[in-house]
Amino acid sequence: MTELLRISHTMNMDWRYGTSWYFAKFIRALQDKRLILGLRCPICRRVYIPPRPVCGNCYAEMREWVEVKDIGTVLAATVVHVPIIDPLTGQPRPAPYGMALIQLDGADTTLNFYLAENDPTKLRIGMRVRAVWREQRTGTLSDIVYFKEVSS
Amino acid sequence: MINDETNNGDSFVSARMNLTFNYAAGEAGSRFLIALRDEKKIYGTRCPSCLRLLVPARSFCPRCFIDTTEWIEVGPAGTLVAFAFDQSLQCHACSGKGESDPGVRPCLGLIRFDGADTSLVHHIGEFDPDTLRVGMLVAPVFIEARSGSILDIAYFKPLEADNARSI
Amino acid sequence: MLGAGRAGSGSHGGKTMRRVAIIGTGQTKHTKSHDDVNQAELVRQAATRALADAGITYREVDAIVLSNMELFEGRALPEMWVGEGASGYLKPVMKIATGGTSGTSACIAGFHQCASGLFDTVLVVGWEKHSEGATQTGMMLTDPLWDRNIASGAVGNFALSISQYMAERGVTPEQAAKVAVKARRNAAKNPYAHLQMPDITIDRVLSSRMLADPVHLLDMCPQSDGACALVYAAEDRAESLCARPAWVRTTVTRHDQPYIGDLDRRLLTMRTLRDAARKAYHQVGITDPLNQIDVAEIYEPVSYAELAWYEALGLCAEGEAGRLIDNGSTEMDGVLPVNPSGGVLSANPVGASGVIRVAEAAMQIMVRAGAHQVANVRTALATGYGVYAWSDVIILSVDK
Repeated sequence: MTELLRISHTMNMDWRYGTSWYFAKFIRALQDKRLILGLRCPICRRVYIPPRPVCGNCYAEMREWVEVKDIGTVLAATVVHVPIIDPLTGQPRPAPYGMALIQLDGADTTLNFYLAENDPTKLRIGMRVRAVWREQRTGTLSDIVYFKEVSS
Repeated sequence: MINDETNNGDSFVSARMNLTFNYAAGEAGSRFLIALRDEKKIYGTRCPSCLRLLVPARSFCPRCFIDTTEWIEVGPAGTLVAFAFDQSLQCHACSGKGESDPGVRPCLGLIRFDGADTSLVHHIGEFDPDTLRVGMLVAPVFIEARSGSILDIAYFKPLEADNARSI
Repeated sequence: MLGAGRAGSGSHGGKTMRRVAIIGTGQTKHTKSHDDVNQAELVRQAATRALADAGITYREVDAIVLSNMELFEGRALPEMWVGEGASGYLKPVMKIATGGTSGTSACIAGFHQCASGLFDTVLVVGWEKHSEGATQTGMMLTDPLWDRNIASGAVGNFALSISQYMAERGVTPEQAAKVAVKARRNAAKNPYAHLQMPDITIDRVLSSRMLADPVHLLDMCPQSDGACALVYAAEDRAESLCARPAWVRTTVTRHDQPYIGDLDRRLLTMRTLRDAARKAYHQVGITDPLNQIDVAEIYEPVSYAELAWYEALGLCAEGEAGRLIDNGSTEMDGVLPVNPSGGVLSANPVGASGVIRVAEAAMQIMVRAGAHQVANVRTALATGYGVYAWSDVIILSVDK
């Protein structure tokens, strides 16, 4: 058997996900007021960013909103060198780019987000970073462009 | 538990993905498709245990779970054993035609070749919707630029009016 | 040597059930691209090899559990389309898709089906054909509200956790590279493994392309096409069919919160693996895993993870993983060989990878591992890892 065939299919798929009350409120605050809101668990008192309706540890519904600062501490950091496809554009994201888990002041969980810095020698766990906002915000988490180092 | 406090729009997130997949046809699948491409022939394989002739040809019988190595040409004509009109189908026979043209209704059919124990799924084209019926003899219409695809056959068309066979 | 655990015909945490053993395994060669077979044919290769190894025919299989991340190949309902390759015709077939743990989840589900007494012979088959699909885009189909805003990919997410792990536990890139070297050298003795590099060195790992700091290309698992299958039977039947069956002593599954930022230093704590292992050890009476377990097949998608898993599995104290790899304890001639098959680092068809861990652990007990056989194996550990932090722990033994 010499010739082996491959059958090619391209699918263009569009989805429309229903979000809910906590997403709507979070995004409205982000877009309109450059404000970051978290939800606090009534049992363990942890503040979750981004918000979600149930605390996974306690299995308790969360309804208490808490304002969280747009400045925080980097708890994990890396620089990605491979051009991974950006879900927002469907195109490979130009690499290298920095990413981090950022604990915003007032939050107990960390936010997975881009960093302005893409030189790994300039990244440190413990460094302080602040959100850089888009001028024209459209109501997504990407209304924050990335987080940039600030001097403490 | 979930209620929309803001009661506005903005309660959806949309996403789009363009994904391309490249499926291996395998040796048997490739041989079947190459026969369409190069010879305009349709093949089945016979199971040595249950003796069924399986179309399209495949490397093993799913009921007996053994290799099927005997290749047998079938057709080109076969009997239409079932059909259904489906407006959502994309079909060579229908592209570019107006709705009032005869035979332009997108139609899916099951075709049973003489001697075969399974049916092939394909499009049915160039037919009069008023006379199309189960039992008709249909034959494949191949395209010119074949590439080793089941769509090297554009569709199956009825051979002539009133040619139904009892099945 | 395992303790008796709790009394009962099948202890498993005090709940009585039939004792179940693996009596046969089968794999395909894992490779970058299997052009020669479609998915059903790939599954059939592994299934027929497992049935032959078990000494039974497809007719004797009562139930089938499949494992596949169908999203990666864009092929919906593989339990329908591909199940016939596992002799699924007119049999109960189910498919499980739980990320990297798909294979171990399927092995656990198959074990449950047999242990329950409802099915006597159960076949488990896991497979993936990454060459057919858009795995990277499949990885992007994460939570649309939050995760999908960030193009991190698997390697980016690992790298984030690794940066915390290195900062706190002090492991070095050289120590991680030793894991990668161990894996590929072991794989050179495994005819099924995808990456076989008998001459690989630490330098070669550290000079390979950087994917995401500090993870180099050779620190990371490949994407493979491949399938793996195993057969379960219970009690007397297992004994009559197999000279040295691999008895399932316990299986434990733990899931965790889905968002990576919630996981509170994932690799450092790895609470699902830690918790699952603790429970599993307690059930079978293991108090000193490094010495009481004879071989381990650990699901390690990146070299650093294996070091973190040493700690989570209690093979060493926190902070001692570097020392464990440095002193050779987990090499083939060490006190606890880890991944004699080469691990996920050497072959990663995702839907199969978890089944491979369990099958390879069983092969060690059954003395069917050929050139990568460890001597005197009575107790084997297999683990699964998936998504951000899901864990499965399975312990097999030559003793019922």
